[in-house]
Amino acid sequence: MIFTPLQRHLTSIFLKIFLRDRRSIFFSLFFPVIFMTVFSLASDREQEPINIGIANLSSNEVSSDFVQRLSDSPMFNAVSGESEPLREALLVGHQTMVLELPADFGASPDTVSSEINVVVDAAQVSQLGLIMPVLEQTLLSIEREFRSIAPMFSITIEDVQARSQRYIDFLLPGLMALTLMNLSIAGSGFNVVEYRRKGILKRLFVTPIEPKDFIIAIVFARLTIVLVQLTVLISLAVVLLDIRIIGNFFAYYFVVILGTVVFLCLGFSLGSLAKTQETIGALGNIVIMPQIFLSGVFYPIESMPEWVQPLAHLLPLSFVSTGMREIANAGAALTEIIPSLLGIAVWLTISFLAATRLFLWKEVAN
Amino acid sequence: MPIIEVCELQKQYFLPDDKSQKFFAVNGVSLSIEQGEVFGILGPNGAGKTTILEMIEGLNDIDGGEALIDGISVSTNPYQVKERIGVQLQANEYFDNVSLEELLSLFGTLYHRTINPEALLEKVQLEEKAKAKPAALSGGQKQRFSIACALVNEPKILFLDEPTTGLDPQAKRNLWNLIQRLNGDGMTIVLTTHNMEEAEELCDRIAIMDHGKIIAEGTPQELILDFAPEPPEAPLHGNLEDVFLSLTGYGLRE
Repeated sequence: MIFTPLQRHLTSIFLKIFLRDRRSIFFSLFFPVIFMTVFSLASDREQEPINIGIANLSSNEVSSDFVQRLSDSPMFNAVSGESEPLREALLVGHQTMVLELPADFGASPDTVSSEINVVVDAAQVSQLGLIMPVLEQTLLSIEREFRSIAPMFSITIEDVQARSQRYIDFLLPGLMALTLMNLSIAGSGFNVVEYRRKGILKRLFVTPIEPKDFIIAIVFARLTIVLVQLTVLISLAVVLLDIRIIGNFFAYYFVVILGTVVFLCLGFSLGSLAKTQETIGALGNIVIMPQIFLSGVFYPIESMPEWVQPLAHLLPLSFVSTGMREIANAGAALTEIIPSLLGIAVWLTISFLAATRLFLWKEVAN
Repeated sequence: MPIIEVCELQKQYFLPDDKSQKFFAVNGVSLSIEQGEVFGILGPNGAGKTTILEMIEGLNDIDGGEALIDGISVSTNPYQVKERIGVQLQANEYFDNVSLEELLSLFGTLYHRTINPEALLEKVQLEEKAKAKPAALSGGQKQRFSIACALVNEPKILFLDEPTTGLDPQAKRNLWNLIQRLNGDGMTIVLTTHNMEEAEELCDRIAIMDHGKIIAEGTPQELILDFAPEPPEAPLHGNLEDVFLSLTGYGLRE
């Protein structure tokens, strides 16, 4: 791309304006960072150990082995004690569950099996599904050892993706797409309305500048700014939140650049339709809000009601976030995300035509 | 040959209250301004002064008639016209966070010129403000800076839309001096104003407009002689404001 000296100069002025505006630099990064951190903390939290009390009425080797195994498990925070005080602790919520091992626990394997009494608070019953398999598994292995039976089956869990996928890994590409949409629409739309309101557009139109010079300069300046902002955010995510981007970095940025230009042009169109900051705010929300919820940023589009899905798939942010996610999470090459790229290309055409058709210097009367 | 020739210029707008109806903001205005003149356009608010200027400057479409600047038609060659004129608009806001010298050099680039910002700032007595931002300027300084911006392309004609509105007397006199200096260097100047003293002080010729038409034109002396009301007793009183009010009436405008 070859720029005229005029376009270069105007671009550098737009960059200067942004760089000298510390407050908007701060806020443009502040919210995405907060967002990212909160989501990362929420999805990263480890399962807290469950408090269980064990009242062991038996006193043989088997029962103490059982108690020892539960205490060693990272899942439990086991306390041994008398039955009554443990039940009281359960009532006030200090224990989630109390196990009462009967006096005949494990005493004579050949007679009737002994019964463990599990006392739970009904409010904590949801934990039961988590605890019971562990208890059963522990009992089973004790029984096996006791009877000297080798396990007939064993299960190994193998991750087909060969890596662990956390929610934050799913979220980050969507969040980046959302951030680039917000920054772009605000960057072009709000600025154009502001320049028009102040009469700056009109003042520029006094000189022999052509509309394409202005649009190229502002799009290029904003593109640079958004790329830097996203790079900062992605670096923070990689360094602080241990996010993995598996795919090709250039492919990732290719989608980012296309998406940014789409939303810059959309912002331009909105800025031309809106006459005041209030209108651009409202128009911006109309465009941004549905996309936040429908474009698969926070959860996959497939998890939405079926009748919304066809519409949701067509939103520009859906194409951008899907493309970015496939590259970041699944390591897709550009050739593998052609459907997303086609969608972005269609939106690029629509938004560019709208931006150039709607943009008017002349309707800048006070 | 006059440097500005305007012939039967027309501009129609929709009525603000009733979008189905149009009205003439400018209705058949003809003007002829000579090289080196200071020409004033007077008129109540809404008379069409700014609209006329904007049509001549190429900022507003011409609905009817023709405007020639230096022999070039504004409607067919707006970009050539823009190269030859300097414009100060009523609103004079600029990009935030950009210094005066940076703005001037940007405006130079917009005319494909490399300019010397210090020399221009010196011309309008703002050399000490080179690093300042427009927001930090006083009203008079802002107007002078606007004129500096309008001078980056060394224009033949300078258009000033209400240059002294809102200025204190010192700033106003200072700006008059600047305008007279520029005119002394041979620049043609077209200005609009509500200040009759200003028109009398600066303008070689004046056109008074109302309702989109020119209702009187001439030198200040001619206009006073022709239109100032004869005082019943006192031998001579009356000034340009009497002329203005007797021509346009005392009714308040928007």
